[in-house]
Amino acid sequence: MSQRAFKKVLIANRGEIAVRVIRACHELELAAVAVYSEADRGALHVARADEAYPIGAAPARDSYLNIERLLAVARACGAEAVHPGYGFLAENAGFARACEQAGLVFIGPRSQTIAELGEKTSARRLASAAGLPVVPGSLEPIADAAGIAAEAGRIGYPVMLKAAAGGGGKGMRWVANPAALASAVARARGGAQGAFGDDRVYVEKALVRPRHIEIQVLADAHCNAVHLFERECSVQRRHQKIVEEAPSPFLTPELREQMGGLAVALVKRAGYVNAGTLEFLVDAERRPFFLEMNTRLQVEHAVTELTTGHDLVQLQIRIAQGQRLPFAQSELRQQGHAIECRVYAEDPEQGFLPSPGRILGLRVPGGPGLRDDSAIYEGHEVPIHYDPLLSKLIATGPDRADALTRMRRAVGEYRILGIKTNLAFFERVLRHPDFAAGDYDTSFVERVLAQPGPARQEPAELAAVAAALTAFRERRAARAPASDGGASEWWRAGLAEAQRRL
Amino acid sequence: MIVEASVDGRVIRVEVRGRGPRYEVVVDGRALRVDVQETGHRFLSLVVDGRSHEVGVARLGQGFSVALAGDTFQVELRDGQSGVASTRAAMSGPVRVAAPMPGKVVRVLVGVGQPVAAGEPLVVIEAMKMENELKAPRAGRIGQIDAREGQAVEAGATLAVVE
Repeated sequence: MSQRAFKKVLIANRGEIAVRVIRACHELELAAVAVYSEADRGALHVARADEAYPIGAAPARDSYLNIERLLAVARACGAEAVHPGYGFLAENAGFARACEQAGLVFIGPRSQTIAELGEKTSARRLASAAGLPVVPGSLEPIADAAGIAAEAGRIGYPVMLKAAAGGGGKGMRWVANPAALASAVARARGGAQGAFGDDRVYVEKALVRPRHIEIQVLADAHCNAVHLFERECSVQRRHQKIVEEAPSPFLTPELREQMGGLAVALVKRAGYVNAGTLEFLVDAERRPFFLEMNTRLQVEHAVTELTTGHDLVQLQIRIAQGQRLPFAQSELRQQGHAIECRVYAEDPEQGFLPSPGRILGLRVPGGPGLRDDSAIYEGHEVPIHYDPLLSKLIATGPDRADALTRMRRAVGEYRILGIKTNLAFFERVLRHPDFAAGDYDTSFVERVLAQPGPARQEPAELAAVAAALTAFRERRAARAPASDGGASEWWRAGLAEAQRRL
Repeated sequence: MIVEASVDGRVIRVEVRGRGPRYEVVVDGRALRVDVQETGHRFLSLVVDGRSHEVGVARLGQGFSVALAGDTFQVELRDGQSGVASTRAAMSGPVRVAAPMPGKVVRVLVGVGQPVAAGEPLVVIEAMKMENELKAPRAGRIGQIDAREGQAVEAGATLAVVE
């Protein structure tokens, strides 16, 4: 049993999630230790932590994925526990095992559980045994192309090829018919080898326009397990979520209860401890199919926090300290509505091409019912080496319509100067009649892109005016005989103004 | 001062007169009264004939980055008295395809002399864990290839030229 009280937590991550975990540590009066790569000396998680140590070069494999380096820092600074965040090593069973062997509390499930649920076909077998419906397809990785073809023929096209070691939408291939299978298998193998160092693939039936809905679970080390309802995550680009909400506008109360019950059944069967998420696809007939389990905190955990009133990161830490869940299933309620927009440094006009660079100016929305989980600031250089997530903007309201209008208002308040972001794209999503009606599935982003964007004539003219005025005022200020080159533009402009009045 | 501003593929003619904080601005022949107030570093409050806008403006490269309500624009200015609108020329002359960000060239999909259609992928670069296809900005022939597979490139580096 690795659960025990601790006072100092090393956060093996960066960016907004590291800041989020630091906040939870401070609220629990625990010391938070940050680690940083050479690209991240200026990152906010370093500044906000109690201690911070460099762990290597900018590429993640030399720093945030370097298990030995992370353990050495933990040993040297006296950290007793490790929070992995999401991404990087969060679902790496080898890292969890290394922490266990080093006598560190890993804030997450046991390494054996991560291994069982991390391998996708093993998770499908476990879920099936626990009574969960799984997407039709193979329960084992299939080695030969003929075997894959036979299984695809049995379940019927279209099918999805997926990496057995996969996750995060990487290495997935949609195959329409038998003719396209052979080349897709080769590419899926190559992709899986490249992304996960493991070329095993399996085949699943591709559901038509499914909804992607997940169930949050929590379990303590004393055999108590609950679910904290669902999150609707169907708004995706490149198989990655960009807008999430809770509750899902698609679930009936009966289906919510059924899916929650299925989730708890798998948690109990797997002997799962800590926070986790079961991802389901739900077809048009509202039939849920288990997809996979994420054995970590999710990016979008805040929408659950804001609709249940519970702090998931604090609960992760308390569970790791051996405490019991402070509530029973019957005490949990979903209240109100929450919507999250993931603000990325990317250009929706160019196929969501990443757009790193320096943030030259920043105005963050505020006011009632908003939460902004970010790690950016004016002057921050968004590094090219990592995920280009800038901020998670979350709006709440007593019901979905209120949360939606609040989110539109908040997106309109945001100003991020110097880099391209997907903020304007949220405007299109949030104003789309199908989104407003709650009628969307995983093909929704393509539907939005297929429609012409809003007329940008007026904003383009305003941008031209703002740039021209700035150039004009700079020129005026430069002409003014101000000798102090170090004075601010504002001072020089003010001085020029005063001289004109004389 | 008269400038031609290229924004979002459009050229907008802007004339600015006055001494501030109130300016007379003529946008493509339409006269506006604009009241300007700085509201912090790189932010302006613009009141345009009574309509209020919070705008971020910063010099970036050859032009300006401008942040409006939920959207960011790149604006390039040229002197409007000496310059001749050259958007048409840009459509027929050689067009440089540049790396939009630092990254690594994964694949070069075309060769010198090859005819290409508008939107045809030319080069794949990898940055921020993702592969991105850079496409031909217009139809033409590949006049030059500067990208080599495996090569690390800086933002703005020329990868190919479409003629």
